[in-house]
Amino acid sequence: MRIVVDLNRCQGYGQCVYLAHEVFRLSGQEALTYEPNPDEEQRLHVERAAAACPVQAIVLDRLDGTEGSTTP
Amino acid sequence: MVEETPWQQALRYANRANPYPFYEELRKTPVARQPDGTYVVSTYREIVALLHDPRVSSDPKKCPAPGAARTQGSGEPAAEPIRQVLTEPNIIISDPPEHDRDRRAMMPHFVGPPPAPRWISDLEPEIRRIVGGLLDAMQGKSRIDAVDAFAYPLPVTVICKVLGVPLEDEPRFHRWIETALDALDFGPEAASEEIQSRQAEGRQAVQEFGRFAAELLDGYARQPGPGMLSALMNADGQDARMSKGVLASNALLLIFAGHETTVNLIAHSVLTLLRHPDALEQLRRRPELIVPGVEELLRFESSVQFWHTRSALEDIDIAGTTIPKGAPIFLVYGSANRDPERFTHPDTLDLERRDNQHLGFSQGIHFCFGAPLARLEVQVAVGEFVRRVRGPRLVEDPPPYRHNQIFRGPRHVLVDIDGISA
Ligand code: HEM
Ligand code: SF4
Repeated sequence: MRIVVDLNRCQGYGQCVYLAHEVFRLSGQEALTYEPNPDEEQRLHVERAAAACPVQAIVLDRLDGTEGSTTP
Repeated sequence: MVEETPWQQALRYANRANPYPFYEELRKTPVARQPDGTYVVSTYREIVALLHDPRVSSDPKKCPAPGAARTQGSGEPAAEPIRQVLTEPNIIISDPPEHDRDRRAMMPHFVGPPPAPRWISDLEPEIRRIVGGLLDAMQGKSRIDAVDAFAYPLPVTVICKVLGVPLEDEPRFHRWIETALDALDFGPEAASEEIQSRQAEGRQAVQEFGRFAAELLDGYARQPGPGMLSALMNADGQDARMSKGVLASNALLLIFAGHETTVNLIAHSVLTLLRHPDALEQLRRRPELIVPGVEELLRFESSVQFWHTRSALEDIDIAGTTIPKGAPIFLVYGSANRDPERFTHPDTLDLERRDNQHLGFSQGIHFCFGAPLARLEVQVAVGEFVRRVRGPRLVEDPPPYRHNQIFRGPRHVLVDIDGISA
């Protein structure tokens, strides 16, 4: 899957990191780094991270027809 | 008899199940001065502006007229006793720099060490196990209380584990919290004999709760143990260690905030979904919608309806009004989350709502500390409830509500069920 974080919006709240630490990292003083092409198995975690971002800075593709495949 | 303001009406117990028509009225004046001098802010844009305004303090000590909850005609403001008892600050009632320093010191002990803090995610199997056990226990029953048998036990078990609070003490602190919450009232009923008579008990409950937290920390100072409180108590001096009093006050905040709000969100989620059969069915067919769904459920029925400790450090001009220096400010998150200027069809539940930047966890520096944990718990709990409970039907609508106005939630949600799936 593919994700993009709008780093102009990102405030370094870290909410995404706490819910998907394999994809998002906070390095140093509140600077976010992330894996733009995480494994499909990370989808649930990435969706949680995107929903949790207080400024809605995380955009993920929803175009790859995986609807319904993330049943926990 | 002077007519009551929309805000006063919204606070009446009779309107607890549905304060929204009064919020709609309230939003016609985004920043509304109340007879007691409190400024009540009910619109999304104005609340966000104030959340990011350094002229707004969260520290009640900086409010010279802390009559935030003063009731007309009565000498005793109903919110005061609790504040008087809580003499040491915690992060929710602190301003920078202390706020930021203490929050930063606590965070890694909650989420795990950087750069990849994983403790919240690592709790998921345990959360699933607890939720599974609660649902298993409903086997063979035809009627359940979704509050006592489901919404309450999960958050309290999890927060005890995270903090290192013995679960055996739960009945004690549960009673203190209930007593304190029942004594807190910001509305016209605060002057009633009933609420006034609860004041002394409320004060005593907070005192005992505070002693309990301090003793727990003393114990961990002598003998370190599992959990966040012991880790904080024994942290190296590096990141400006908190005094024991401040730590005890934060412990009390975490125990309390760590379960009360989450209970109400799980209970309200069950209630709301049973009121919206289409949404329930949608969630059954597409379980992954639980992730955005919980955001929508929190927008729809916010567990923290408003926050009451802010005040103006200087005159603030906003929405055609001046909030004078020293005036108490209430931010009504529950109203902002239904503001049609921000959310299209705000009174419609839409689990797939786009651009759902609600204020259920607030924003800015006091953004909920426990949000990632709360989200995970509620996603798992409500997701599993929907998946496993067969034929759930509300018995009583509206259900009875708890007294408290800030931490709004149903006291019971009785549900008739056909069974529990595997
Ligand atoms: C659905 C559940 C929850 C909701 C809706 C919620 C909501 C909120 C809100 C609105 C605030 C901001 C208050 C303000 O205006 O200053 C807040 C702050 C806070 N919450 Fe939560 N909360 C929840 C769960 C939790 C949990 C599980 C914890 C602890 C583990 C927690 C701990 C805190 C703390 C410590 C603060 C103060 C943060 C600060 O001042 O920097 N909350 N919460
Ligand atoms: S949650 Fe959002 S604002 Fe926070 S670090 Fe992640 S992307 Fe940035």
